[in-house]
Amino acid sequence: MEHFFFIQSREPLTDNRATADYELINNLAAAGNQVTVMLVQNGVIPARRGSIIKSFDKLCDGKAWILADPFSLAQRQIASDELKAGIESSALDRAVKAMLAGHKVIWH
Amino acid sequence: MQQEKTLTFAFMDPPFESEQTVTFFRLLDEAINLHAHVRVFAYEGAAALSFSLQSQHGNAVHGRNTEEEAHPLTKDWIQALQNKAARNNLSFEWINCGLCVDERGVNEAIPGCGRGGPADLWRYAAESFNTLTIGTQ
Repeated sequence: MEHFFFIQSREPLTDNRATADYELINNLAAAGNQVTVMLVQNGVIPARRGSIIKSFDKLCDGKAWILADPFSLAQRQIASDELKAGIESSALDRAVKAMLAGHKVIWH
Repeated sequence: MQQEKTLTFAFMDPPFESEQTVTFFRLLDEAINLHAHVRVFAYEGAAALSFSLQSQHGNAVHGRNTEEEAHPLTKDWIQALQNKAARNNLSFEWINCGLCVDERGVNEAIPGCGRGGPADLWRYAAESFNTLTIGTQ
C-alpha cells in the first residue's frame, strides 16, 4: 500500500483534466492505497454543497480522504459548514507534512 | 534531536500571473514552519520570481501612490523566506534555470538565488527527502 497526497487545484468547470484527476484518485484509493486529496485554489469550487458536479460527487463517495484549504475557501466565500459531507477544512501544512512523511505528493 | 529533512520544490509559473504562485510560496513558508530545509528549482516563468529589478508602482485609476498601493513583489517574498529560514537555522537554496533566465532577460537575481540548469534539479531531487513538482496550468 502506498500513501498518495494530491494537491488538487483543478476543477471540471474550467479544466476537463480534473475529471480524469478524480478518476485516478478514486482508482488509487479503490486499489487499497491510502489517498488524501487537498483542494486548493479553484479546486475548492466543487466542494460547496449544492454544486452539481457528478465526477466530484463520485470522488466524495469513494475512499479518498478529502481536505479543503481554508484560505482558498475564504477567498471564495465558502464557509466550512457549507462543504459537502465528508470534506474537512484543513490547513495547507498537511501537504508539507505528507512530504515529510515520505508520501507521494502530486500537484494537479 | 531529530535531523531536519530537505524538501525540493520545482516551480514554473511567473510572478504576478497565477494563483499558483501564491500557493507555492505558502507551501515554502509551511516547509520552514515545519523545520525543513528548502531547495527551489525555478524554471520557465518562475525564473523571474527572484528578478531584483522588480519595482512597486502606484495605481492612478484607484488614486493610490506607490506606498498606498503596496504592490507585493515576489523578490521580497523570497527574501523574507530566506531571512525566516536563516532565523530558524535552516537552509533556503534557490536556483533559476539559466536558459529560462536568458530568454526573459532576468539575469539580475537577488542575493542567494543562483543560476543553474536541469542537472541541479536532478541533484536537488536526488539529495532531498521528497520533491514536489508544480506544473503550470
